Amino acid sequence: MWWLKNIYAVDPSGSCGKRDILIREGKIEANAERLSPEEVAERAGGEPVESLNGEGKYLFPGFIDAHTHLREPGQEAKEDIASGAAAAVKGGFTSIIAMANTEPPVDSRGLVEFVRTQGARAGLARVYPLGTVTKGMRGRELVEMLDLKEGGAVGFSDDGHNLQNSEVMRLALEYAKLTGLPIVSHSEDENLACGGAMHRGKAAARLGLKGIPSSAESIMVARDLMLAAETGGKIHLAHISCRESVRLIREAKERGLDVSAEVNPHHLLFTDRDVDLFNTSLKVNPPLRSEEDQEALLTGLLDGTLDMLATDHAPHVWEEKARPFAEAPFGIIGLETALAAVWQRLVVPGKLSPKRLAEVWSLAPARRFGLPGGTLRPGSPADLVLFDPEWRERITSDSLASKAQNTPFLGQELQGFPTLVWVGGEPVLRGRQLCPAGDGVRHR
Amino acid sequence: MRMFKDLLGLEGLSPDEIRHILQTAKPMKEVLLRPVKKLPTLRGKAVYTLFYEASTRTKTSFEMAAKVLGADAVNIGVSQSSVNKGESLLDTAKTLQAMQTDLIIIRHAASGAAGFLARHLEAGVINAGDGQHEHPTQALLDLFTMQEKLGDLRGKKVIIVGDVLHSRVARSNVWGLTKLGAEVVLAGPPTLLPPELSVLGVKLSYDLDRELPGADVVMALRLQLERQQAGLFPSLREYSRSYGLDRARLRATGKETLILHPGPMNRGVEIASDLADGPQGMVEEQVTNGVAVRMAVIYLLMGGTTNVVA
Ligand SMILES: [Zn+2]
Repeated sequence: MWWLKNIYAVDPSGSCGKRDILIREGKIEANAERLSPEEVAERAGGEPVESLNGEGKYLFPGFIDAHTHLREPGQEAKEDIASGAAAAVKGGFTSIIAMANTEPPVDSRGLVEFVRTQGARAGLARVYPLGTVTKGMRGRELVEMLDLKEGGAVGFSDDGHNLQNSEVMRLALEYAKLTGLPIVSHSEDENLACGGAMHRGKAAARLGLKGIPSSAESIMVARDLMLAAETGGKIHLAHISCRESVRLIREAKERGLDVSAEVNPHHLLFTDRDVDLFNTSLKVNPPLRSEEDQEALLTGLLDGTLDMLATDHAPHVWEEKARPFAEAPFGIIGLETALAAVWQRLVVPGKLSPKRLAEVWSLAPARRFGLPGGTLRPGSPADLVLFDPEWRERITSDSLASKAQNTPFLGQELQGFPTLVWVGGEPVLRGRQLCPAGDGVRHR
Repeated sequence: MRMFKDLLGLEGLSPDEIRHILQTAKPMKEVLLRPVKKLPTLRGKAVYTLFYEASTRTKTSFEMAAKVLGADAVNIGVSQSSVNKGESLLDTAKTLQAMQTDLIIIRHAASGAAGFLARHLEAGVINAGDGQHEHPTQALLDLFTMQEKLGDLRGKKVIIVGDVLHSRVARSNVWGLTKLGAEVVLAGPPTLLPPELSVLGVKLSYDLDRELPGADVVMALRLQLERQQAGLFPSLREYSRSYGLDRARLRATGKETLILHPGPMNRGVEIASDLADGPQGMVEEQVTNGVAVRMAVIYLLMGGTTNVVA
């Protein structure tokens, strides 16, 4: 049993404050303002108690990342489920949702179960698969959504591509009602985005790079919202990047649509003005947009228009990114740096409260995708993060557990990291070191 | 005078550095006009051309510039097969590094490709055009041509007309001209002149005829005919009616305006033959000056410090 003493506990499903917390048999045993040694001994029932002074630290429910690309099966040179899950726990994520655009895409129950099995073998973060929306991600026939759900899929997405055919999107939103799971939309009009490498604006004009206009996203957001309204379907909008989309989502929520939306940390931390022709780790889709867009995203995250943060962790092989900007693939890895970067640049300056951070990166994804977590209530699974706001670390290719290093923070020092992470009550990260399971598989 | 290892663009150069290159090009041009066009300056050295986009005119100009300076010009054949086999620019850079090259001249379809190569090589790199980003030697030869005819460019009015959006020539010229104090106007249809180009800090106009009065120079950009198929303008005919240069339209300047074109020209589209071949047309001058300016750049980047034509 663990006894965390006098720790600042941030419970997005309840309150925040100094607490004593007990972890036993994989669950949160107690969460109280103060526990006496007698009470603790009684609860332990003879089990040894590992106690820990939480002074100066925060305790969060494990962070949940709703958007990661783990590249397995098929592109294991970029990442695999084990390395992605390792990166996750190093960054404070106890649960991650794996996108389905692998090779082959996760469009059958067998593949959904494969992803779950690989996640269990890794024994680090919990790995939840998304299935594709269409077979082979070809944008035509729907996958067997019911079967995929039985196999463990928590939603459906052709992410990486947009469903250009509006009728297919409409049918997907209708049919997915049988499952109760959301359709995750990568909203992008491919004709407007075609060939672009960064946000269409002054920075692109100066660099001579073809731009992707904001309308490439917002037009599809508008379409998806209209289809969600018409069908009553359940939709989650991935990686919202621009002001117009935020406005559309706000209106849709006022009308009571079943819509949720995410924003990626890099869109809150960088703009197109940070892009140059050589730092391809800032090449991402949707692209880093203007300062006005960035402001609208933060406002949207604070007022609830945007429900959650998600990394869109998108690993690539170094050589693929070591190309001229226009030729490099899109994508930023985020699992190991996103929490620290958001902490340093948004929480410490007071733009985002620790409680809102836990709401948008733990509670909201748990609720939307029906996952355990997002709470510190007694009886809930002990997926927990002990966070040290003073811990500093330099991000280097050697320090990263991810196979990839396409992060704009490479070579930089960040402050504020998880130093102890539990999944199901077992430590998976301790003193910044991974603790793999003894027998190779964690049975949860 | 600080001189760089590379010439990647004019945006990063100071006005003095630009003037220094143009000054160095003057004696180079004198050499070109001699009956025996050969200097011993760079004997035993080699410059390498690496052209991923076909451009006989620019490549020949560089090769000639190198040869006049006494250097060997080696063409690294970029076979489409090696590109298709996935040999990346990084692989190419490693090969070039292993070959101990001194100076590479690269043209590539990706913005930043020349800078990319420069970052991975000890050798000097000259950007002979990277995507829609910059084409510095073209702008330098344009500046040289204008200066030769007009003297100091401060306060001179230069109109650049056409497909500004996709033009590296326009971008490099804007940086160069504004650094030398000229007044620049960019003109073209809205689809080729989007508002974000205001970042270049010069006037944008859809109405060429209104801008012409007082223009000292009008530069027509080459119109890539594919742009019409991509829907950026309805027809060559309509383009030509609004933005094509001919003698009648140019009367509006009220001056003996110089007409520049980076070539190759689409005669009858962006420029009429009577104008291109007439006394105001600078196209042939530009070709000669191109060699002189490229000699100056190669000379300066290869460490030339002495008086070359003593
Ligand atoms: Zn996506």
